[in-house]
Amino acid sequence: MSGTGHTVKSYEEEMQSLNDNLVMMGSLTESQMADAMSAVIKVDKESVDKIVKSDGKINELRSIIDNQITTVLVKRAPMAVDLRITISTMKISHDLERIGDLAKSVAKKVKPLPVDLPDELTASLRRLGDLVQKQLKDVLDAYLNKSKEKAIEIWRKDEQVDDLTNLAMNEVATYLQKDKKNLEMATHLLFVTKNIERAGDHITNIAESLYYLIEGEYLEGARPKGKPVESE
Amino acid sequence: MTKEERLKKRYRAEKRFQIYGLISVSCALIFVLILVQNIFSKGSSAFSRTMIEVQVNFDSSLLGLDGPVTQKSLKDAEFYDLAVESLLKIYPSKDTKEERQVLRLFSPDYEYEIKDYLIKNPNKIDQIVPVKITASDDIDQLNKGNFPRDLPEDRRRVSNYQLNIYDNLVEEGKIDKKFNNYFFSKGDSRDPELAGIGGSLMGSFFTIIICLALSFPIAIMASIYLEEFAPKNKITDFIEININNLAAVPSIVYGLLGLGILLSVMEFPRSTPLVAGITLSLMTLPRIIIPCRASLKVVPPSIREAALSVGASKFQTVFHHVVPLAMPGTLSGTIIGLAQALGETAPLILIGMVAFVVDIPSTPVDPSASLPVQVYLWSEQAERGFVEKTSATIMMLLGFLIVMNFIAVYLRQKFEKKWN
Amino acid sequence: MELNNSKIKIKTKNLNVYYGAKQALFDINLDINQKEVTALIGPSGCGKSTFIRCINRMNDVIDICKVEGSIQLDGNEINEKKVDVVTLREKVGMVFQKPNPFPKSIYENIAYGPTIHGVAENKDKMDEIVENSLKKAALWEEVKDRLNEPGTSLSGGQQQRLCIARALSVSPEVILMDEPCSALDPIATAKIEELIDDLKKSYTIVIVTHSMAQAVRVSQKTGFFHLGKIIEVDSTEKIFKNPDKKMTQDYITGRFG
Repeated sequence: MSGTGHTVKSYEEEMQSLNDNLVMMGSLTESQMADAMSAVIKVDKESVDKIVKSDGKINELRSIIDNQITTVLVKRAPMAVDLRITISTMKISHDLERIGDLAKSVAKKVKPLPVDLPDELTASLRRLGDLVQKQLKDVLDAYLNKSKEKAIEIWRKDEQVDDLTNLAMNEVATYLQKDKKNLEMATHLLFVTKNIERAGDHITNIAESLYYLIEGEYLEGARPKGKPVESE
Repeated sequence: MTKEERLKKRYRAEKRFQIYGLISVSCALIFVLILVQNIFSKGSSAFSRTMIEVQVNFDSSLLGLDGPVTQKSLKDAEFYDLAVESLLKIYPSKDTKEERQVLRLFSPDYEYEIKDYLIKNPNKIDQIVPVKITASDDIDQLNKGNFPRDLPEDRRRVSNYQLNIYDNLVEEGKIDKKFNNYFFSKGDSRDPELAGIGGSLMGSFFTIIICLALSFPIAIMASIYLEEFAPKNKITDFIEININNLAAVPSIVYGLLGLGILLSVMEFPRSTPLVAGITLSLMTLPRIIIPCRASLKVVPPSIREAALSVGASKFQTVFHHVVPLAMPGTLSGTIIGLAQALGETAPLILIGMVAFVVDIPSTPVDPSASLPVQVYLWSEQAERGFVEKTSATIMMLLGFLIVMNFIAVYLRQKFEKKWN
Repeated sequence: MELNNSKIKIKTKNLNVYYGAKQALFDINLDINQKEVTALIGPSGCGKSTFIRCINRMNDVIDICKVEGSIQLDGNEINEKKVDVVTLREKVGMVFQKPNPFPKSIYENIAYGPTIHGVAENKDKMDEIVENSLKKAALWEEVKDRLNEPGTSLSGGQQQRLCIARALSVSPEVILMDEPCSALDPIATAKIEELIDDLKKSYTIVIVTHSMAQAVRVSQKTGFFHLGKIIEVDSTEKIFKNPDKKMTQDYITGRFG
């Protein structure tokens, strides 16, 4: 983004380290998300503890990045692109941490689920999970490549996430209507669905922060929202 | 060589250098002390003169007064007879030759000294009063111990007869020394005991005043113009080179200039402080311009910029800010230049300030000598009495120079404190 | 580009400055808005000081300096021979990098300008001017009991405020500041920056500075100079958050070669 490096080498190294740590945090979050989704779909109760524990690594990275940002602010008084990188990194790491937390919450919900989860319940949920994972992968790629177009694309796809969320929740609601004794299971599934949607929101936040980092301006207009489901 | 050895060598070299410095300073001090001691020992006796106490009979009948005794009548009267009558009474003389010798014990001014006494004390008329009268140069020098007594009579300036009278007077306690105010109040004279620097002192004073009045303003203005206002081109460079050269021109050349232009062409009065002042001011001009310009140059440009930035014109900037800051250096240079002018002899000789001037000049257009010229004139005289006078004059000159330097230092410090 | 829509106080058009054969400024077109602080940044030798010295015609004292082009103050051309520079410098004051009070008393330092311009009719009026100038420069409380002491007896920061008070004493409309804080410690610098914040309500200020952080703190508009040309000029926020030109960004982020 900015051809020649900083005259002061240590400044250059600090910014590079910030970048690397964020990329690492992104990877970790990505795998957490994938693991959590897989655990839900397969109702794999053994993997839950591992997922919960791994969240600690993401939080640790967040701490490290916070510290690095504080140091850069006080040492370097960053200007222009450096300033935007610093601010955006802070915001993105916050969003990644939240995504990690959401993944952990999703995983924790696997334990109370019945092993024989019917497929029709999880169809849309699976599609939602795939979409959100793809969003996450895309936004991390966009960050690596500092791609403005990709950021906008991801930002727009939030609409799809909303639509799929509504679809999934509809499915659960429909299932519940048929068989009222599965209220507990339905609640858990709804919870999981909501969490994934919120993860999607955070990913959209990341896309916005990325756009600001690149362009120095905020994405205009309201976030495209999907149509709310009509209650029956 | 190890580091320690090198260090020791350095310290030793420093110590050696310090010692060299101390030796040089000590040598200089010793030479100064020798010079001062030499001059002082020769000159200090000039500040006293020998007096002989004589019983004077202010017999009014000898004065040829007709009518009442008034100041005017006393001033008009002839005191010669009265004086001679009283003077001859100090020792018996058997013929006119001896009488002449008795009279020659006194300075030729005895008549006027007695007259002055009576004019000052008219109530002593017709009384016999002890009056102190200046001794002649020979007696003066004899009394001061400058004449060896053991020479044969024909090689002595004082005859045996006179020596007898002298010894007698000494025994009677009639020989006394008093402060020689004549040295300061009287002009030049053939008689050393009556000679003084009064004339040359005033001559030098007028000369320096004129020199200062002419050279200082012109030099300052020239410096300010050349340094601050003149365009920097080949012409001004040429002028600068020439000013520097002028400062090195031997002063006698200025004397020739004075002689050729002031005296021959413009027919100024010869031998006057006016001509001397003008001549010396030409010489002093470059000697003031150079330090003045140097002082102007070192005024920091930040002061000029500060003045300009509040809306001062170039003129105001220079005169309100730059010139005051250049004053300490300029004044030092001026005083030194004046001190040099004070000691100048050669050019003044050329413009004729070698006149034998008895009267003390009251204006700058009266003929006079100057202090250094006086030294030159007296040093050529034969009489022993002039030796001490010459040295005393040198002491006066040196005193003047020291005072001027102190004034320079004082003014410089005062200005520096004010502007700092 | 969010520029203050206020009136333009100083406008330069095709300003070219030469030192002998060497050109120092190339075609400078810059507007300075009134009652605002405009900062000029750029590497050493890029022409910032040369530029501000054109505004009060201080370059006139340098013989080999030639100034071509138009400089307008309130719409009036000042780069003309017939302009009276003394009157101009009453309107456009200057504060220099190293504090340079006159070697006179504090009172006389301030009183000099009004004296030569004949502003005060009597001593009381002059006392008033001195007091007001020192108050505007936030120096009055510190020196009011020692107005007769020499200006050079003050500390560096106080001396600079004295120089600011001196510039204010002739009631200028514009104050030019050439790196005013570079010789001062952080506390003295902070006091001057506070002063600039206050002064901009009544005066137009142009400040040359090497400190990016200072430019951001005190100015509303910033111009970036490089090798005698203006590379970018815009609101300070824009320049420092998201400049248009890469060279600007490279300079302010410390990426210059």
